[in-house]
Amino acid sequence: MARTVLSRRSFVTLAGAGTAAAFGIPAYLPRIGEAADTIKIGLLEPYTGVYAGPGENETNGFQMAVDAWNKRGGAMGRKVELVKEDEQNDPGVAAQKARKLVNQDKVVALVGTVSSAVSLSVAGVSNSLNTLFIDSGGHTDDVTGKSCHWNVFRTCHSTWMETHATGYSLQKRFGKKWFFITPDYAYGHALESGFKDVLAHIGGTVVGNELTPLGTTDFSSYLTKIDAAKPDLVLVFVQGDDYTNCLKQMNQFGLLKKYPVGGPQVELEPLYGLPPEARGGYWGVEWYYKSEKTLGKNNKLAHAFVADYMKRFNKPPTARSCFGYVTADRLINAMAETKSTESVKIAHALENTRFTSIFNGSAYYRKEDHQLMWPMWVAKIRPNGTPGDKDDLFDVVDINAPEAIEQTVAQKEAVCKLGYP
Amino acid sequence: MIEHLAPQLFNGLVLGAFYAIVALGLSLIMNLTGTINMAHGSFMTLAGYLAYTLVQRGVPFWFVLIAAPVITVLVGVFVERGLVRPLYKREPFYSLLMTFGLSLIAEEIFRLIWGSNGVPFSPPAALAGAASLGFMSFPIFRIFIAAVLIVAIVALALFLTRTRFGLRLRAAVQDTEMIAALGTNTQVLYAVNFGLGIFLAGIAGVLAAGMLGLSPTSGNALLMPAFVTVIIGGMGSLFGSIVGGMLIGIAISMTTLFIPAASEVSMYVLMAIVLLVRPRGLFGEEGIFG
Repeated sequence: MARTVLSRRSFVTLAGAGTAAAFGIPAYLPRIGEAADTIKIGLLEPYTGVYAGPGENETNGFQMAVDAWNKRGGAMGRKVELVKEDEQNDPGVAAQKARKLVNQDKVVALVGTVSSAVSLSVAGVSNSLNTLFIDSGGHTDDVTGKSCHWNVFRTCHSTWMETHATGYSLQKRFGKKWFFITPDYAYGHALESGFKDVLAHIGGTVVGNELTPLGTTDFSSYLTKIDAAKPDLVLVFVQGDDYTNCLKQMNQFGLLKKYPVGGPQVELEPLYGLPPEARGGYWGVEWYYKSEKTLGKNNKLAHAFVADYMKRFNKPPTARSCFGYVTADRLINAMAETKSTESVKIAHALENTRFTSIFNGSAYYRKEDHQLMWPMWVAKIRPNGTPGDKDDLFDVVDINAPEAIEQTVAQKEAVCKLGYP
Repeated sequence: MIEHLAPQLFNGLVLGAFYAIVALGLSLIMNLTGTINMAHGSFMTLAGYLAYTLVQRGVPFWFVLIAAPVITVLVGVFVERGLVRPLYKREPFYSLLMTFGLSLIAEEIFRLIWGSNGVPFSPPAALAGAASLGFMSFPIFRIFIAAVLIVAIVALALFLTRTRFGLRLRAAVQDTEMIAALGTNTQVLYAVNFGLGIFLAGIAGVLAAGMLGLSPTSGNALLMPAFVTVIIGGMGSLFGSIVGGMLIGIAISMTTLFIPAASEVSMYVLMAIVLLVRPRGLFGEEGIFG
């Protein structure tokens, strides 16, 4: 058998070339043809850590929209491609990866994120790079408030919308003495001020506000204070694994039987991780796959999206999937309409354009602050789902118009100056 | 404030008991071989998921409480033989890096098998709900955790002081070379010791899954308090791990009473104070790591 013997010299050369390839040196060389063929969008999501579940579902939504556009021939005859990066739920890592996506991968826009802290970080970086960023899933008010930028848009609801949608809804059902369990970072603080505003309007009081560090596993020492405060309602703001831990322990302490519970937002992801006996209460819902109130009765697009998603990923879509879908769909649509990938042009095209999508009613990214103005829902939890579908946990009871729950244009203009270049 | 004191103190002690179980396993492994097991949390998560899977298939909880840790030990012994043992003769830094890497890989494997979302796992009906203690109502499951700790400590103490194997283990911690020279198979000693540590991690993992949520990262979140427990209690002292656990539990719950947002920091502050006054920890031996 003939065998080629590798000489030491050629081995060194090969190894060198291999290393160069591995470390991406060719990325700096122009790849003829490729750049013109595809439009790259940079997607930043937490694929590891506490928000990996929501990150995965947002990604699925993004992918659904991109594939749908590519099936129709893409935008401007060019295929659209998602370049994914794990932002690890870390604002520092996210900033670094955002720069890498823009400078090295040459993406035309950035999308994604779950945590508010990460959204704010990416918003800042993208602004300095003059690149469009649509925050699909970070909720804190500042993104479209104090820290707003001309290049930053947001699809998911602001914390103000969440607190006002649920606050007024809950006040109709329960009393006015509220106890908060608040995650101690941007998102939690924003919720706190939103609910305090609701309380100021209805004449209620905060009888307890426990600031819990993000990633708290044991909530017992916060929960033991609830009994003494005797609230009419316990509002839980923590999300992800913290939500699961908190509710599970509230149940073990017997608190769920004693006090009504609710919150500005609940997501299916952590709810699935809870045993049925710990599921309950009234929560803000940003989209739901199985209610006429959220999907609209005759919305074919919405029903087809749900069916396709379940077929493809073998699980129901969540609000996160909806954020991803709407974000990518609007972004590509704006590029197709303006026949451009320039950030300023796309930004202007997105502003105040009314559209219908996979939810009930129409929506628009408001010109003054770039917040997506769309309805928000409130649901009562069904602990065991419905017969035949154990995943069907929400009974959607209220629908709130966006203008009634978001700050007015005048209020927003006082804090947000977009300042186009 | 005063009316909160008794419930918080009691809750802190029970929470401390839980940290102590985790820290005991960590401490056992660290004492004999100097291995800083960063994958301890992953073994906890593994046991939790195994328990979840078994209970889903109709296996009773009481059996699972032992079976899941035992299966975890099998994985643990495999890891010890294949990955940890080659590093015994090196600086502790090597095994620290290796087990850290292992924990990252484990997290992804859990995600592949059981999904990114958490899974629901609750204690059996007999342990669910809260009992009234007079000054507060308290989850029965947490009282059960404290009971398991007491059983585990007594069993471990008897094993280490009353059995031949336990005596050899303690002797090996003092002087491994002498024990080997006297004809004891130290490889078996190491493996059993590692397995014992993992067994405790497994028990803690099943209990944690019942008390908290169960997701790919849930065990890792409990690792830092366990390390801090070992450092406060002192390296080389199992008794120190128990006291350290209790102190941390009380520190966390007491801080929550006055400055809730600082509850997590409190254990590090406690650790800093202990290290300033007594660098080897409360009950630690001097010079464990050279």
